[in-house]
Formats: sequence, structure tokens, C-alpha cells
Amino acid sequence: MNSQAAAGATMTHIHAGTRHTEIRHAAALRPARRQRVNTARLTPLVRHAFLGLAGLIMVFPFLWMLSGSMKSNDEIFSNPLNLLPESLQWHNFVDTFQGAPFGQYIFNSFFVALMTTLLVIINSAMFAYAITQLKFRSRTLLYVVVMGCYMLPGAVTYIPSYITLARMGLLDSHAGLILSNAASVFGVFYLRQVFLKIHPSLIEAARIDGAGELKILWAIVLPQCRPALATLFLITFITNYNSYMWPSLVITSQELNLIATGIRQYFIAEGNYGMNWSQVMAASTIAVVPLLMIFIVCQKHILSGIADNGVKE
Amino acid sequence: MKIHFPTVLEKFKVLLFVLPLLLPLLAFWLLPFGSSVYISFTDWDYISPEYNYVGLDNYEYMLTDDDFLQALTNTFVFALGVVIPTVVLGLAFALLLRKEFRGSRYYRAIIFSPWITPTVAVSIVWTWVFESKAGLANLLLNELGFSSIPWFETGAGAMFAVMVVTVWQAVGWTMLFYISALNKIPASLYEASQIDGCSAWTRFTRLTLPLISPTTFFLIIVNMITAVQAFDQFQIMTQGGPSGSTRTLLYLFYQQAFEQYEMGPAAACSVIILLITGVLTLINTMMGKRWVYY
Repeated sequence: MNSQAAAGATMTHIHAGTRHTEIRHAAALRPARRQRVNTARLTPLVRHAFLGLAGLIMVFPFLWMLSGSMKSNDEIFSNPLNLLPESLQWHNFVDTFQGAPFGQYIFNSFFVALMTTLLVIINSAMFAYAITQLKFRSRTLLYVVVMGCYMLPGAVTYIPSYITLARMGLLDSHAGLILSNAASVFGVFYLRQVFLKIHPSLIEAARIDGAGELKILWAIVLPQCRPALATLFLITFITNYNSYMWPSLVITSQELNLIATGIRQYFIAEGNYGMNWSQVMAASTIAVVPLLMIFIVCQKHILSGIADNGVKE
Repeated sequence: MKIHFPTVLEKFKVLLFVLPLLLPLLAFWLLPFGSSVYISFTDWDYISPEYNYVGLDNYEYMLTDDDFLQALTNTFVFALGVVIPTVVLGLAFALLLRKEFRGSRYYRAIIFSPWITPTVAVSIVWTWVFESKAGLANLLLNELGFSSIPWFETGAGAMFAVMVVTVWQAVGWTMLFYISALNKIPASLYEASQIDGCSAWTRFTRLTLPLISPTTFFLIIVNMITAVQAFDQFQIMTQGGPSGSTRTLLYLFYQQAFEQYEMGPAAACSVIILLITGVLTLINTMMGKRWVYY
């Protein structure tokens, strides 16, 4: 509510600013120019103030989580609004790591997400290459079928996929998770768009030189779209690292859990809804921070990749 | 025109390229889709090997079942309650951040950052924000002179809390799309309107809004699809409660399938989720063809 009102205020301010500029054309130049400089300075200031406030609201849960993870449990309840803990309780992290194998969970998530992402990139690239560069009759049909899966909610496939994994003996295994996520509609969609932009003469030239199709894909097409591959990699990795519902159904042994499932079990077991918040916050921090770090490092890539290409899931 | 005669070798080559994707797609998307539809016509309970074909019973049952109707309503309430603020706030941020200025990259990154993080983890943090005794929300309410609200003990409060988390996560993503849409509007149009003496507000309502309407439409639909499929935040924050007041269709599906092992009704429920998603997607593609220019 509040922020909307503030946005309205900024809008009217910009409005007032342009009015002044218009007046400047008609009226005498010198005094009006000073006026213009003033509003020109004020508008960014208001914008910064509003954005600063909005930004603070957006990161506040993270800040609160960090500060909570460093407080003692008593302090959490007595001084909830203090962002700076009285004394840093680093041992919360030690206790949390001892309470549940979070290192193992994070490793599991990284491993599963990495393997899934590599598989997705390989098979999407091959598929996209086939439908863009190879000539065969059913290629449009294939593309339509794959894209049709885009509208399938995961839930529709959960029960039979679960049974399939059970029959393959892959329930409660990382291999099962990786295999069941190995087909990515988004990967095909995204790489197809990228491959369509590659000049056909390049591929023709390679064919005339006698290169095989796999070689062309590997040595000519892929190196040309490194930025796109990086974007696809990041997005697929993050999505898989964060996924929860399906992994929580497939995995039952504790030592195979991914971080999202692990942290939830810790929350239910240790948290008891308000009993041990400082450790729960430490656990959340352990889950969130690796991703925030990836984001800080690859921020430019992720932001532009998503804005340009329309990504979800 | 040259007629193409595919040789065995070429067919094999094509297969080599498409099978690595098609096999998992068949095994975990297409075939499961088919069998889900089939299971939705049975009374299978997952444990026993036998089941009966019951036709449309599961669907008929749902139409009279209070839990289902409640979940259906909840799903739409949740979707609307998430989509409207997300799109409005996303547009507001995009208007402020469309042009590069000093610090704009940081603001974009900060507003976007919730999207990156695991929903499960951030939902736990937000559970703490809405905690009744020492939660941030109630502390702020008390500071402002209002009494505390037992967020998770009332249906509306719990639903509101989940909506806040969802909007918070989705705003940055929506903003990015709006920024790229706004930057695609030709500057000449704005210049022309400036020469015509339009006010900033007229320019916004008569020029900007209509020109980005395809993006708005796309964002509404896509955010709706995501909202219909929201699960993580519900399971952490409310588990569908109190008394089913935050149980959405997907949560009902989860309970039917993996808590009660009623696979028939669960599959039927998932087919209904599919129908909703499918209709939304179809509207999106149809409108996309008419409105979106690449």
C-alpha cells in the first residue's frame, strides 16, 4: 500500500518537472533555467529515496534472517527489531550444522542440479540443432510436441512418474531425480531461438569441409553461443537447486536429501514454530547464501538473460 | 525444388540427435500425462494392484465435494491476490528503473534477488515475520497502535501472509520483463507526444500503457500459471490450514495423492489443474500471435 502511494508521489513529481520545462520555453530563459536545474536534481533524489526504501523492504527479510541467525534465542524474542545482535552468536551455525547434515544437503543439491543442468544443456542443444539445422519431415511436429509439454503442470505427471521411477528401481536416488528432470522444454525453446540466428552458410561450409554433424554442433555452433549457454546453465541450475516438491517425494533417506527438503525437516523437527528460531534462521541462511553469492557474481548475466528471453520454471 | 530422400543413415543421425531429449520427455512427461488421465477414471489406491474403472465418478464427486470447491475458490483468490499486486508493483519499479542511472543496476539486483533464493527457505523466514508474538508484522502493527493479528490462525491472515511472500518473490522477475518492454518502445513516439504537448500522465495512459499491453497480458497469464502451481510456500507456512482455508488445488492434489493415497481423485484433481493451465496457456499463445511483435 505504502509503496504504491510513494510511487504515485514520484509520478506527480515527474509530472510537475515537465511542466516547468514547458514553461521555460515560453518564459524568459535565465530564471527558468535555474528552476529546471533544481527539479532535475530533486527528481533523482526522490527516486533514490523511494527506491532505497523499496530496496530495503525487499532485502529486509534477508537482513532479519542474518541478524536472527547471530542472536541468541532469548534476544530474538526480547529485541526482535534490533538488526545488530548484542553479541555475535557464531555457535548457532556450529549447532545447526551439528543438528542436521547441512553440508551434505548443500553438496547433494549442487551435485543433482549440476548433473541435471549438464544433461539438459547437452540434450537440448542436440535436439535444438536437429530441428534447426537437420532436414527431416517431422521436425515441426517434434517441436510442437515438445513445446506442448510446456503447459503440463508438474503435478499431472507426478503420480505416474513416481511409479516409473519405482519400476526402474530409481526411487530414493539422485540418479532418479536427475533423469526425471533431464528433459527441459525451456532449454529446447531457448536454444532453438539462439540456433536460428546462426548463419546457415557457416554450417554449410563446415559440411563441405567434411565435418560430421556432432562435430559441427560442438566445434562451431556451441562456441558461438557461449553467453546463451551460460544463461541457460545458470537458470537451469538455480531452478533445480531450489526445487522442492518433486525431490521431497522421490527422496526418502536423510543423507540423500536436497537442501530444500533438508531445511524443511529441520524446521519441523527443531523449530516447533517458535521454539528455536535462531537455529532455524541459521539454517535458512545456510540455504539462501550460496544462491545469493552465485547471483551477486553472475548478476548481470542472469538479469539480462531473463529479461531478454522470458523465463519461468 | 529438390525432393529429399532420407537414407537410413540420415534417419539414424536424426534419431541420435533427438533421442537424448525425447526419451526422458516420453518417460517423465508424455506417458505420465496419458496415464494420469487414465488413473483419473479409476479408483486406484496405489497400494493394491487392483482397481476399477469408474468413469467420470471422480470428477462428479469433486463437483459436489466441499473440499474441492473450497480449494478451487482458494486457488482463484490466491492467483488474483498475487497477480494484481505483482504486475502493478513490477510496472512501478520498471518505470523507475527503465533507464540506466547511477545505482540503477543495484536496485534492479536487489529487487530481483528474492526470485533466486529457495522458496522453502525464504518462506521459513517469512513465517517468522508473521509469527504472532515476536514477528515483525505484529511489532509494526503495535508500533502503529493496532493490535496484533494471529496471522496463521485465521484463514484470511494466513492467505495474506502466503500472498505477500509470493508477490515479494515474483515482483523482480515481472519488473525485468517490463523494463525490456518499456525500452522497446521507440523513442520517436515519446518525442512526438512531447511536441504535441502531452502531459506525463496522458503520455503514460495513452502511449505507454497501450504499447506495453501485450507484456502486461503475458505477465498476468504467466504469473497466474505460476500462482496456480504454487506449493512450497503453502507447505511451509500454512499446510493448507487453518481448516482448509489456504488449501489450493495443488495442495489438495498433494494431500489426496501422497497423504491419503487416493490416486483416482488426485489424478482427476491434477487434470483439472492441467485444464486451468492449458486454457491460460492457449489464451496466451492466441493473444501472443495477435499482439506481440518480435
